[in-house]
Amino acid sequence: MLIRITRGWEIPDRLATPEALVFGRRAVLGGTALGLATGIAGPARAAEPLSLPPAMRNTRYAPGRAVTPEREVTSYNNFYEFGSHKGIARAAQRLPQRPWTVKVDGLVDHPREFGIEDLLREMPLEERVYRLRCVEAWSMVVPWTGFPLSALLDRVAPQSGAKYVRFETAAIPGVMPGLRQSWYPWPYIEGCTIEEAAHELSFLVVGAYGKPLPPQNGGPIRIHQPWKYGFKAGKSLVRVSLVAERPKSFWETVQPSEYGFWANVNPAVPHPRWSQATERVLGTGELVPTQLFNGYGEFVAGLYAGLENERLWA
Amino acid sequence: MRLAGLLLLALAAGLGLRLGWGEPLGAALFRLDPGLLNMAQAGIQRRLAPWLWDDVLLPVLEQPSWLVPAVLGALLLLAAALRRRRA
Repeated sequence: MLIRITRGWEIPDRLATPEALVFGRRAVLGGTALGLATGIAGPARAAEPLSLPPAMRNTRYAPGRAVTPEREVTSYNNFYEFGSHKGIARAAQRLPQRPWTVKVDGLVDHPREFGIEDLLREMPLEERVYRLRCVEAWSMVVPWTGFPLSALLDRVAPQSGAKYVRFETAAIPGVMPGLRQSWYPWPYIEGCTIEEAAHELSFLVVGAYGKPLPPQNGGPIRIHQPWKYGFKAGKSLVRVSLVAERPKSFWETVQPSEYGFWANVNPAVPHPRWSQATERVLGTGELVPTQLFNGYGEFVAGLYAGLENERLWA
Repeated sequence: MRLAGLLLLALAAGLGLRLGWGEPLGAALFRLDPGLLNMAQAGIQRRLAPWLWDDVLLPVLEQPSWLVPAVLGALLLLAAALRRRRA
């Protein structure tokens, strides 16, 4: 008979620290330190390290370019609520990612407020490698994790009167220094038609590079419609409303001569202050020709048939 | 110098009466030209330093629109008075 005498340092398996806690330790410590430094409610962040369920890559949307290095994508950001420069990543870490809810309301049969964890659990997550073309003539290629916007809309049953979708992003004065500029029409609003929203390319993003979407990239949830200029992609969404009237977006209000409602990518239509013919690819510095609809024309050109009189390219 | 000070004080009074005593300078400028401050912010934060906007210019823009010319006008009048006394 084998009698096993345990040594002092040996402990039974049942007392071992769970794997998730071990691997989340850095995040836990980071969250605690951040909470102490910023005064943001730290315990919720620290207790639950963020995670993203695994998602299969959808190869239908091949980007035709190399994926941009993650460090480039997470350190070169436009997020006007945190500033007008590219180095807002550090300041954006103050944006609490949990708890987070997205209210879906307006002209729908079943309005609902979704917790971000509910979305991660209920929605059909997949990975899509999309190009992103900024109106400032730079671009990147990112493996986003998310789900089609249409899947979210299906849950709330849009009514026939719903013609447009209005995206509202978070506006937290103590966290976002840009909100001190009280003369701007906060919160940041963007929008699209119901047809654009229902299009298969319209993607609600909750992750990038297989990880939860960082706050500087619009975490925990943002929209991405890759055939439009990047400013159309509202970050850190808190509300999605289905409405009858065309929403007036933030930039349309601030600089209507430069930014419009449609903002589809078109190399032949320059921005009032610069050309859109080429774009600088982040991570390579290479200048490449910009493509109509950012190269997604085969998918989306049909959406604009009969709309030639609209200002589709700004 | 004294004349400039008086003109600035008059401007401050005019701004206060016309725009209201509580409207921030930034809001007045935004009303005048909605794209002006955005372009200024982008130029300053991207080409010079982010803090220059956040910590120096933004606090000024948050003040009532009449306050900046009033302070400048008062300083000029004070300087003019000191110069006259020294002379």
